Formats: sequence, C-alpha cells, structure tokens
Amino acid sequence: MSAYEISIISIIGINVILAVSLNMISGFCGQISLGHGAFFGAGAYAAALTMVGSGSVLLAILAAVVTGSLLGLAVGFASLRVRTDFLAVTTIGVNFLFVGFVRKQAWLGGEMGISGIPASGFGPVGNMTMILLFAAATIALSLYISRSWMGFAFRAVGEDEGAAATLGISAGAYKLAAFGIGTALAGLAGCLYTFFTQFITADAFDFIFSVMLMAMVVIGGIGSTWGVVVAAVGLTLLPEAIRFVNDYRLLVFGGLLVLVIRLAPGGLAGVIQKAFLAVRRS
Amino acid sequence: MSAALQLDDVAIRFGGVQAVGGVSFAVEEGDFVGLIGPNGAGKTTLIKIIAGLLRPDKGRVQLSGVDVTTDGTASRVRQGLALTHQIVRPFREMTVLDNVTLGAGYRRTSSPFRALMHLDRRRESERAAEIIAQVGLAGTEKKLAGSLPLGQMKRLEVARALAVEPRVILLDEPLAGLNHAEASKQVEAIAAVHARGITVVLVEHNLEEVMRICRRLIVLNNGLVIGDGEPREVMADPIVHEAYVGGGMASHAEA
Amino acid sequence: MYYIDLAVTGISFGCMYAMMSVGLTLVYGLLRILHVAHAAVFALGAYVTVLVANATGSILLGFLAAMIVTPLFGMAIYRVMYEPLLKYRPDVPLIASIGLLIFMQDAFRIVFGEQGITFHRNAFAFTTFNIFGVTVSAVQIATIITAVVVFTALHLFTTRTRIGIGWRATVSKPQIAASFGIDPIKVRYLNFAVGSVLAAIAGGLVAEMNNLVDPGIGFVVSYKALAIIVLGGLGSVRGTLIASLVLGLVEAYGTIFIGAWLDRDAIAFLALIVLLMIRPQGFTGARTA
Repeated sequence: MSAYEISIISIIGINVILAVSLNMISGFCGQISLGHGAFFGAGAYAAALTMVGSGSVLLAILAAVVTGSLLGLAVGFASLRVRTDFLAVTTIGVNFLFVGFVRKQAWLGGEMGISGIPASGFGPVGNMTMILLFAAATIALSLYISRSWMGFAFRAVGEDEGAAATLGISAGAYKLAAFGIGTALAGLAGCLYTFFTQFITADAFDFIFSVMLMAMVVIGGIGSTWGVVVAAVGLTLLPEAIRFVNDYRLLVFGGLLVLVIRLAPGGLAGVIQKAFLAVRRS
Repeated sequence: MSAALQLDDVAIRFGGVQAVGGVSFAVEEGDFVGLIGPNGAGKTTLIKIIAGLLRPDKGRVQLSGVDVTTDGTASRVRQGLALTHQIVRPFREMTVLDNVTLGAGYRRTSSPFRALMHLDRRRESERAAEIIAQVGLAGTEKKLAGSLPLGQMKRLEVARALAVEPRVILLDEPLAGLNHAEASKQVEAIAAVHARGITVVLVEHNLEEVMRICRRLIVLNNGLVIGDGEPREVMADPIVHEAYVGGGMASHAEA
Repeated sequence: MYYIDLAVTGISFGCMYAMMSVGLTLVYGLLRILHVAHAAVFALGAYVTVLVANATGSILLGFLAAMIVTPLFGMAIYRVMYEPLLKYRPDVPLIASIGLLIFMQDAFRIVFGEQGITFHRNAFAFTTFNIFGVTVSAVQIATIITAVVVFTALHLFTTRTRIGIGWRATVSKPQIAASFGIDPIKVRYLNFAVGSVLAAIAGGLVAEMNNLVDPGIGFVVSYKALAIIVLGGLGSVRGTLIASLVLGLVEAYGTIFIGAWLDRDAIAFLALIVLLMIRPQGFTGARTA
C-alpha cells in the first residue's frame, strides 16, 4: 500500500467518525449543530498537548474524548435554554470562538499551531488500522443506538419535544446525551487526526469544515447511518478522484448541498428508500 | 387515601392579568370531571399548570399525594399523569403503532441510560396494538400518523395517553373540530378510558356532551372557581348562567 | 483623542453592520429563515460596484448598478431556494442558505480571482480630514451619512407610504394584512429587494473602505450579522440598529482589552453567547410561554 493510499484511507476513516457522530446529534436527535469542527479541534488539541507532555497514547485518547465531550456538554446545556433558531447560530458561534481563541493562545501554538507532535508509535499503517477500527466501532454504535429505545426517544425529541414530554421523555436529558456521545466521538476523531498528521492548526477546525461535515450528513440522508457513511466516503474521495472537484471544492460542496436539499431533502438514503418502495409496488 | 389530583390555592399572573387566582379542588380516583367556563376564564392556563407547562406563582399541585408543583411534564407523566392536546401533536413521521409503542415504553425511556440499554420492543408493541384496537383504530397501525384524518388523530392522542398507564388523564378539548359522528366515537373512547378506573379531567366547550358524560363539573370564570358539583345543579346555578351570558352560552359548539 | 478616533471607527463600522444586518432581520421577521446567503448578496454588491465604477469611471454609477442588480439576485434566491422549502422546519432552508453562500464565494473566487479586484481610481479611500483634532476618513463620513439617509428613508417609507405600511402589517399580523387585500407574496419580494439594496450599499462602502473586494469579503461579516440580529432580537429592525452600533463600538474599544486573547471577529460571538445564556430570547425578543 502506498503512502498516499494509507493517507486517504486514514482521512476517510476520520471523516466517517465525524459525520456519523454529527448524525447522532443532528440526525437522530434533530439538534442542528453547525460547529462540530470545534469539538474535533478540542480533541485534537487536547491529544496534541498530552502527547507533547507525556507521549502516552492512552492518555491522549482519554484527554481528547473528555475534552470533546466537556465542550459538547457545555453546548448541550446551552441547547436546553435556547430556541431552535438560536441553536444553529450558537453552534456557529462556538466554532468561531474556538478558532478565534486558539489562534491567540501562545500555549496552544497561536496561529502557527502545534508541530512536531510525538508519534503514536504505531506507524502509518498502524494508525490507519486504529482509525478504521474506531470507525467501525462508531458505525456499530450508531446502528445500535438507532435501533434502541434511545434512538426511538431521540426521534421523538427531534420531531416535537413537547409531545415527547407527554410520553414521559425528558427532552433535556436526551439532548445532553446526544451532544455528549456525539462530541466525545468527535474528540476521539481529533485525537486520531493528531496521531495521523503530527501537526495541527486551528484552520483545520473552522466553520467551513463544520459545514462540510453537515453536508455529508445532509447528502447521506439525515438520520441514516449507512447513508452518512457513504456520503462521507464519497465526499472525501471526490476531490481526490476528480482534479476539477479539488480545485473547486467549495463550489461543488456548496452546490451539492443546495441541490440535495432542494431536490432530495432525504438525501441519498431518502432516494434509495423511494426507489425501494417504487420497486416493491411495481 | 389521597386524591388522584389536588390543587391547593394555585394562582398565576401574566401580562398584567391574574389569569388564575387561587384555585383549589380535589379530584378523587375514578372521578369524571369536566372543567368548563366561558372564553378567557383561565381553563387553558389551569390545564397548563396541571400539565407542568406553566409554573404557578403560588399554590401546590399534587398527584396521588405527591407534590409535583416543580416537576416538568415528562416527570409528571412518569408519575401517573397523561395528557392530550387541543391541537393534536402526533409524531407525523412515525407510524401509528410506533407512536403508541413509544408511549408504552415510558419505563424504558425514563432515562437515556436505561433507553440505551434496551433494544427489544415486542412487549410494548403488543400492548400498543391492544390499545390501538381499544380506541377503535385497529387497522391503521402501519399508517404514518401524519396521514390520518383529524378524528383518528384525536383518538391516537387518547391511545398514546393510555399507553403511559396513567392514573389521571387530562384531556384538552378532545371534541374540538370533530363532526357529530367523530365526536361520538371520541366520546366512546373516553368512556372506555374511564371504565378502566382512570380518573378523567377534561376541558371542553361542547357543553351538551360534557353534561352527558361528566359526573362532576367545575366551572371557572375570571380565574376563579364559581361552581363545583353535579352537572345539573351546576348548570342551573344562576351565577354560572351569568358568567356565560356575557360571552354567549353555546350549548352546541361546532368547530 | 485616540478614543474619539475609536468611537468614529466604531460608529462607522456599526453603520456598515447595520446596513448589512437589517436585510437579514427583515427576512427572519417575515419568514423565520436565517438568510445566511445574504452575505453573497452583499459580496455581489461589492463586486458590481467596483466593476461598474471601473468601467464607467463613476463611483456613483457603481453604487447604482449594485442597487439594481442585488435586489434581483435577492428575490431570485427567495423564489428558487426558499419558497419551496418553507414547508420544512427552519433548519432546512438555513442549510441550503449556507450551501449557497459557500458556492457563491467559491464562484467569486473562480471568476474574479483569489486576489480580488480593486478600484482603478479611488478618490475617497485615502482622503482624511482633521476635525477638532480627530482624524476622520472620507469613507467613514460617507458611511455614517449614508446610513442616516438610508434608515431615515426606510423609516419614512414604512410609516408614510401605503406600500410600506402594508409591508409592516404583513410582518406583524399576516392574516389581518391579507384580509385587507395586501398580497403576501409581493411583500416577500419587497422584503428581499429592500434588504438586498441595503446590503449592496454596505458592500460598496466596504469596497471603498478597503479599496479591495476579495472572495472572503462576505464571510466574516455574514456570521457577525447573524450574531447581531440575534442580539438585537430576531426580526426587530430597531434592535438590529442598536446592536450593530453597540457591536461596532465594542469591537473598536474591545480590541484594546480583549485583543490579547481573542480574535477581533470572535468578540461578536462571545457577546452573543454570553447574552443568550443570560437572556435566551435575545435583547428585545419576546418571552414565549
């Protein structure tokens, strides 16, 4: 396997974890989160500092997951207080704040970021394998949650919190759970990213990146684990496979986002489901 | 034995108006109470307070002796209260069966951790199917809740309320918007609920039906209770008459 | 004196933010949609101003051209993108709007280049005056005067003309307005048109101020505008004006104190988040039950 292929697969794996975890928050539970990059970044920085400080892979993973989910829970608490419209703006704000804050902190590397992060010791193939294993675990977790009573309750909360309450479902607790789990996974992805690149800057975690993640969720089909996985893989590969797309990356992503929402709001998963039903009827 | 539902001196003020001013009453287990009053009497506000959607400025709400005044709706539901909405709110993107199954699984969803630990829905689905049949919706299980006609949606609300195994059911204008035939079916469903020993409190404008089915009427006007007792007596009371005459006494409310 | 300089800077930025944000709050007030793509309208206004000014040699024509093109663009966005999505929950048009903004920004980059375009002859950009010891640039004066003129005109329009009054009525009491024969669809187009014209003016002024229009021009301002309209109370024009000025001043003075540990542009969001935690309904927002 060439270094390039290892690199691509690693990135795909990380994006899958990010997209699937975002889908738990925004897809399953209906809480629009346009700042997922911030949790990814928080995990990455936590892992970087831990590696620089201690070199322990295990500690780094732990630090990343905890940091990601702490920030996530903070945002989750915010989501309990504000209306839906405001939540979107708040998450955008969190993203901007994160980047704006990190860029000014010398101890976080400021605008230069943190470079020369100690290697995880697994080597590129080892890292890639670890990423793929975690990606698989994330997918499994997502599928499980979707089928469980938690997923059932999430859907109710996402559609109508008040009605959910009349069935004994505390919307607040579930929103926190969604944010907690989703952002912990984002933090994990951040750690894996740090192992992979050994060099991070705040720009990798900005609002544009968060929008790309949301694009993966939307295009894949909000709420559908497999749809989102396919979209994550596809949208990561697209710029690599087609040079044109790489040069006009934002054009393509933005355009796709608008087209999908306009023409097929259910995303890939929705299109396939409709095709399925059509075939069954004929 | 404590009352199924008890209000003690409940009051709330907003927008400069005393919407509810010191209301007290107790509803015993098995009662069938109608909460009536002219428009603006404070019925909706009172229902919201009982349901946990509004917190009163003062007073106490108790469910079977337990003080729930500061509890949210979901918590009250887990403690034996069920409610239906005036404007129906089914989960439109879910099937009828799923809507009721979710309610039947109220124990499973009491906390996210517990919900995460449980996968199996069979028992709850079976119970849900029974309830669906009881309210006369058999055959609609696989339909999307959003596709039902209004009458069926209203009965779905009752089915969901039954699913949480309540001791007290709060019905907010269960007959609003229904034509005569649908209203009859709805009344049957509600009567069946009561026949199982569940305490029923309903708010309704359709006085004719309310007189027929309720065993007790509580009349509200300007945020205060002005009548409480047997339907015939209450409706004959001149004070109650006067309260309605100003707003127009509708003996037959058709949406 | 330096502090007064800062005040002038703050106020002129505030005026610019206001012209940019009012369009956003107008759309929200009417349709409950966060029209993030408004920034693309703003950017288009900036580009058109420069292009036409360079082609004709007259900056005024540049502004006029922008004021004609942008409302068309804004109304088209409504018709093609938002109208079909109104039936969904508000997150859906929001995401579409973000997608459009990103698309447009990249499109601008491709068409006009990464470096952007500049005025061939910019009379104003570097002219400054010294008034009572305070250094004020011509652009700042122009911005403030334009804002005063524009908002006075807007105020008169919505309180003295039939169309304007009908517009306000439709926003606050749509059913009653409709029963008076006011066409809600026309009002929507008017809404987008007016907001877009304001954005165009703001865009032109920013182009003047920086003597440059590059692809990123709308980016940060757009998200700041989001923060501003939430701070001002979604849908409230007056609140937006106040919030815009306040933010302009806070940024101008704030950089002195907070600039050490937080990017200037992030200040708006810090203020937003702090406010939302204290008052979840925004500055002038109404308390829902």
